[in-house]
Amino acid sequence: MFDNILFLLSASLTVVGAFSVVLTKNLMHSCVYLLAALFGMAGLYATLGADFLAATQLVVYVGGVVILMLFAVMLTGGDQDKENKFGITKVPAMGNTKTFIAGGISALVIALVILRLVANIAKQNPQGDLPNYMSTVVEIGTKLVTDHVLAFEISSVLLLGALVGAAVIARPARGDDQ
Amino acid sequence: MNSTIVSYLSQFDGHKKFIAFLSEVLGFDATALIAFLVFLIASIVVVKVMALVGGMGTYAERKISADIQMRQGPNRVGPFGLLQFLADGVKMIMKEDVLPKNADKLLFTIAPLMALVGVFGSLAVVPFSSGFILTDLNVGVFYLIGVSSLVGVAIFLGGYSSNSKWSMLGGMRGASQIISYEVPVTLSILAIVILAGGLSFSTLVNAQGGLPHQWYVLHNPFTFIGFFVFFIGALAETNRAPFDLPEAESELVSGYHTEYTGMRFGFFALAEYIEVFVVCGVAVAAFLGGYKVPFDLGTGDFLVNTLHLPPIIGKNIGQFLQIGSFVTKTLLLYYVVIWIRWTFPRLRVDHLMTLCWKYLTPIALFNLVGCAVWLYAFDGHSIWELFSQMTAGSHGGGH
Repeated sequence: MFDNILFLLSASLTVVGAFSVVLTKNLMHSCVYLLAALFGMAGLYATLGADFLAATQLVVYVGGVVILMLFAVMLTGGDQDKENKFGITKVPAMGNTKTFIAGGISALVIALVILRLVANIAKQNPQGDLPNYMSTVVEIGTKLVTDHVLAFEISSVLLLGALVGAAVIARPARGDDQ
Repeated sequence: MNSTIVSYLSQFDGHKKFIAFLSEVLGFDATALIAFLVFLIASIVVVKVMALVGGMGTYAERKISADIQMRQGPNRVGPFGLLQFLADGVKMIMKEDVLPKNADKLLFTIAPLMALVGVFGSLAVVPFSSGFILTDLNVGVFYLIGVSSLVGVAIFLGGYSSNSKWSMLGGMRGASQIISYEVPVTLSILAIVILAGGLSFSTLVNAQGGLPHQWYVLHNPFTFIGFFVFFIGALAETNRAPFDLPEAESELVSGYHTEYTGMRFGFFALAEYIEVFVVCGVAVAAFLGGYKVPFDLGTGDFLVNTLHLPPIIGKNIGQFLQIGSFVTKTLLLYYVVIWIRWTFPRLRVDHLMTLCWKYLTPIALFNLVGCAVWLYAFDGHSIWELFSQMTAGSHGGGH
């Protein structure tokens, strides 16, 4: 019962949030809706028993990515002047009839292909019960430093590179401070 | 399954009998229903008590600051002015709810709620005692760090949506400060997690003992430094002085909540005071022995063995002692936080960032490596155990 309630809540939060992200015209608002969608995702992970993944989702997205996006939107100006003085939206429609038709058809094709793939997976794996709940922390930790140690190391080098790059960019040029 | 308050209750006979009775009356298995109700009641109790703690925090702050500055403090409403926070609450509800003309209405409304949700969400894993913890998640520490970062988003949104320069500056400072100080705080907790070998709060607490020399803060030199790094970082994360730059009243009027009035402002204030309690609780659980009570009093074994009480009574008395131990230590830290606020001057913004990135983060990293090396070299023994082994060894050691 708990799982069902949690699933319904987080699934609706995800779907409503995701739709609001693309439907709202305010960039700042869509960041907040994205936050709701990502929160719902964390809930979905939790219903599947992936506790560590759910917590990681919270830490990484809520604490980091969304705040950075908010910062970026705010500092780059975001949606200023989206309306003229009569309150009519100035943002032009993105494209014309031709591009809408092309876009619609390609979306349809892609959707059909994806549905076909998903249908195969659903047919081969009939829905079963979730395995008994157990902590995934130990398992993930063990896997990360044994089977997947190369991926782990490569991603850490990548992050270190990003960190050094950020420091280089943020550093004032030599001789500026005189 | 995680140990929760439900799993604590379910070890008693009365609980089982009640469920059996209810299942018979209702005609279906009432276990899930009872679990839901217990969680509901426990959450409501925790949230209400914490709201009270937050309210009393505002009172305590004024009283302690008055004490430090040798003046009276609130003393008219109720005995010793204890009901001052209720009067404040009534005043805030009666105030006009002002929405600035060009404010972003949605974000302006959502921000205070988000701050409260973030703080209340983190209450779910605060270990009040071995039985009274809403849920002892396997990833408790990690979860707490994630949920409490929602407060950072709330402060940023509150500052942005007010459409005021002061609020905007306050919100930006708040967000950057919270993101930055999360790094040393997380690293210092990680050192403890390495020593304890688990991310859940009960693992952290159970690896410690009731007496001070069994606490992690005195476990080895690295954790001793780590505790202070954590505490400084936690002060900054809750925007308390000397790190209250987001609301620096001498430069930014009132920072991110300049434009907030009435109960919305109240939500921000309440969230701050409850967050201080939560952060102090985490410091107590990770470094100061948590809910542990010395001499087996907490598990009730001592009472059962000496006074020959029935085990069930001994256990319940032990629970209350554990809650008392946890709350006492937490409130002592709470006092220290307020004491610091009224003693130290505020930092400058660049000093704040320098302190975080050039001092606290490297120290925290050093501590992390140090704790790992200590764990490897001494097999997780504390420095006191090593001393006692050494003295035992030098006195012949033959027994």
